[in-house]
Amino acid sequence: MDNNTQIILAVVTLLGSAGIWKYAEARLRVKAELRKEEQSSNDTVLYRDDLKSRVEEMDKALKEAHKELLALTEKVAKLETENSFLRREIDILKRN
Amino acid sequence: MERLKIKAQEIKAELIARFKSLRVIWQYSDSQPTEITLAAALVILYPIATYLEIGFSPIMQVLAPIAGLYQLYCVSGKCLSCRVRASWVTFSFYLLAAVMYLYCGLLFKGPSYWGWILLSVSSFGSLKRIKKEELHRKNG
Repeated sequence: MDNNTQIILAVVTLLGSAGIWKYAEARLRVKAELRKEEQSSNDTVLYRDDLKSRVEEMDKALKEAHKELLALTEKVAKLETENSFLRREIDILKRN
Repeated sequence: MERLKIKAQEIKAELIARFKSLRVIWQYSDSQPTEITLAAALVILYPIATYLEIGFSPIMQVLAPIAGLYQLYCVSGKCLSCRVRASWVTFSFYLLAAVMYLYCGLLFKGPSYWGWILLSVSSFGSLKRIKKEELHRKNG
């Protein structure tokens, strides 16, 4: 087989395989899109997505509550210390 | 007679289920082992077989092993788009072999030459599987 024939056959095959693949790829893309659309209108998937967003919201709320709790604990600790000092001073004043 | 009919229906249902299962496996199973096998065949067997049966062809005996090595590189790298590209190149080379054999009048000389068609189909199946995986990962 001469070189020219080989090159022509190679180019034709390359173009053919590219065409076959483009067609198959387009079909796969359409199928994937259809499946995605089906899933987006599916009740179970909608319910799952709703649950996911709720879990995210609750997680955010939990983190904020945790921060608030820490701040409150800090305040309580401060007040307890202040209170104990005040009691001590009251005792001293009562004794005098 | 009735029992035989029921038994035949059961066997038919079982065979259909098995066929469907094979189809699902063919479409969605992991294709890395197939890709490695096809790439290794492209690197080792492809140039030897084509040289002995068709004669010297630089496109087939020089470029094909490089394409096989590229496929192996992509499989080891786990990059899906790279694997798609490499699989398409591999498929093109196997298709080229089938076309060359057909042109030389060898393809239908004996059943052993039909292996090129089998390899083309296998590489195309592998290519489709990887693309499906890529689309699945993109769409979630």
